[in-house]
Amino acid sequence: MKPLVRIFSVLLVFAFLMAACTPATQPADSGKKQYTICFAFQDLETEFWMAGHKAITETLKARGYKVVEVNSQEDANKQLEQVKNCIAQKVDGIIVIPVDGSIALKLIAEANKAGIPIGIFNRPPQSDEGNALTVVANNEKIAEATVEYMAQEAKKLGRKVKPLIMVGDLGDPNAVGRKQGFYNVINKYPDLFETPVEVATKWNADVARDGLQAAMTANPDIDFIFTSSDFLYPTIQGVLEPLGKWKKIGEEGHVIMGGLDGDKTACSLMQPGNAYVDATGVQDLYFEAQTLLDAIVKAIEAGEKQPDAWLDDPGFALTQGNMATKEMDMWGCKLFHGK
Amino acid sequence: MRIQTNHRWLLFVLRNISLLLFVFIFVAFSLFNERFASLRNFENIILASADVGIVAIGMTFVLLTGGIDLSVGATMYITGAIVALMLEDGWGVAAAIPCGILAGTLWGCFNALLISRVRIIPFMVTLGTLTAGRGLGLLITESRHISVPNEMRFGAVRVFDLVPIPVLVFALMVLVAVVILKYTPFGRQIYAMGNDVEAAKKAGLDTTRLTAAVYIISGFCAAVASVISISQVGSVSASFGRGIEFQAIAASVLGGTSLFGGVGNVFPGTVIGILLIQMIQNGLIFMRVDLYLQEMVKALVILFAVFVDAQRMGLIKRLERRNIRLEKRIARPAEAKKLEWTAWQ
Repeated sequence: MKPLVRIFSVLLVFAFLMAACTPATQPADSGKKQYTICFAFQDLETEFWMAGHKAITETLKARGYKVVEVNSQEDANKQLEQVKNCIAQKVDGIIVIPVDGSIALKLIAEANKAGIPIGIFNRPPQSDEGNALTVVANNEKIAEATVEYMAQEAKKLGRKVKPLIMVGDLGDPNAVGRKQGFYNVINKYPDLFETPVEVATKWNADVARDGLQAAMTANPDIDFIFTSSDFLYPTIQGVLEPLGKWKKIGEEGHVIMGGLDGDKTACSLMQPGNAYVDATGVQDLYFEAQTLLDAIVKAIEAGEKQPDAWLDDPGFALTQGNMATKEMDMWGCKLFHGK
Repeated sequence: MRIQTNHRWLLFVLRNISLLLFVFIFVAFSLFNERFASLRNFENIILASADVGIVAIGMTFVLLTGGIDLSVGATMYITGAIVALMLEDGWGVAAAIPCGILAGTLWGCFNALLISRVRIIPFMVTLGTLTAGRGLGLLITESRHISVPNEMRFGAVRVFDLVPIPVLVFALMVLVAVVILKYTPFGRQIYAMGNDVEAAKKAGLDTTRLTAAVYIISGFCAAVASVISISQVGSVSASFGRGIEFQAIAASVLGGTSLFGGVGNVFPGTVIGILLIQMIQNGLIFMRVDLYLQEMVKALVILFAVFVDAQRMGLIKRLERRNIRLEKRIARPAEAKKLEWTAWQ
């Protein structure tokens, strides 16, 4: 009898747990069909992803959509399983921040097969196979505009400079695009730049710190740093400060610095009187979120099964030269100023 | 016994091959770039080794008993998440650090309970707590990237303007570990248990308590490493501590710790192992090896080092093996050498 009681107890606890996990209230029936959207994202590693996640979920909920959120924790296979699971739940639309460009293709294929509209946010698929609504920043152009401003600042020094690039995860098309944008400018001014030093970061602050520390020791004359993501500024500060190289703009020994994302930290480091960063490339986060949501909602409501469009975010470079006019166009500055 | 003494030098080389490999790689990188051999760069290597090295110390304790702890990265994340969230909520560093370390140690206690009392194999338990721990970290941080205030960024502060805090903590942890393993009954019991658990039980050792203790030590070390890492990086994100378990295991094994237990030490073994890994990583940046190739080159060098290490263990055993028949032929050393060479093959 004892084993039976044990099994019964376990089942009872399990049933209670399952009951606790179900939503407490069911949406009220307003006569209009409530659409369900599956939002599959990876870890919210940086302020950019956090703000993007918030913008998407809050806007959808405000429009009366039910949102099923799944976090793949940067595991591509897990993301595929999660999206398959969403498809099995017969959601009306899928929005994905893919772990990488190749898994994005598989997710698109699955959604197309099931006839569910899919939107890809900010990280482009590796090729244009399949039908999806893809909103993505032009990373190469934004990086190029940022590094171009930095190059103009470097020219004022009247000598050659030694550049360093902190490269993101090489499996991420965004990182590759940013690297390309950096090199477009480096190659444009061969008389201004020495051979660049590359440091791998894998989008990991710990890896970035070790790499930057080694690179600064090997090349103490580095005076031009471009980071592929703004979230690495605290790490850069941690390395440069003990070396006496963390200097404000205008101070002797200032390292010309720029990044990409347009986050709150970058904004704080560009403020007049406390400016360490010369320029940062801005992905227009709110534009991207709004554009994708508008497109996918329109497709769902029109009954489209496989909408296909490439929605480009041109972005821009916020520099010390245009801070006065463009600052509040950067999402990180809106957060910084509490707006 | 004379045949063995003839190979005293060979044995010396084989026993210290990790150290010699370290020197060889150091010299090789130094030839490519003179700054590699500078004091500043050596400090960089030690600084980069501090957090992983502390995790590897705890891992060495676990490996010495024949166990494994895959959950150290998750323990680091839980600790880091608690420290960062407390600081974000306005708590001081003095409160946040002990709470974080306590949480990490408790995670180690959870491993200890499941392995020593419930008797589930360490691989499965720590694989489970690795996943659960990361999930817990994500839950409490809501997967956010959290920057810590400046008072927590003490990684660059030097004690007496000389030694950076992370290096000092690492050195202290090494010292304590060496004392425990070499000079206390507890340390000797760990080796005894790792060598032969059944014999240890028969000798009256409380293997349940010993097993529990090493997983708690591992959790504590991971928690301390987490605090050191935050002090250097200045933030905690979802990737915090990810993959560190493999670096820690590689460092211990490179340093001569056997995955089957009973053999190994923290100093010089594990310390050399972690310095070697960090030195390779550092050297590849000095050599400006293509970023796409760096990981492969690093893995190949580590594999080579482990291969050499495995070979030397076999050779040492053969050289130290007593052979009565060879002893009888001492009068004819040339023949003895020939026979011994055959024995190696």
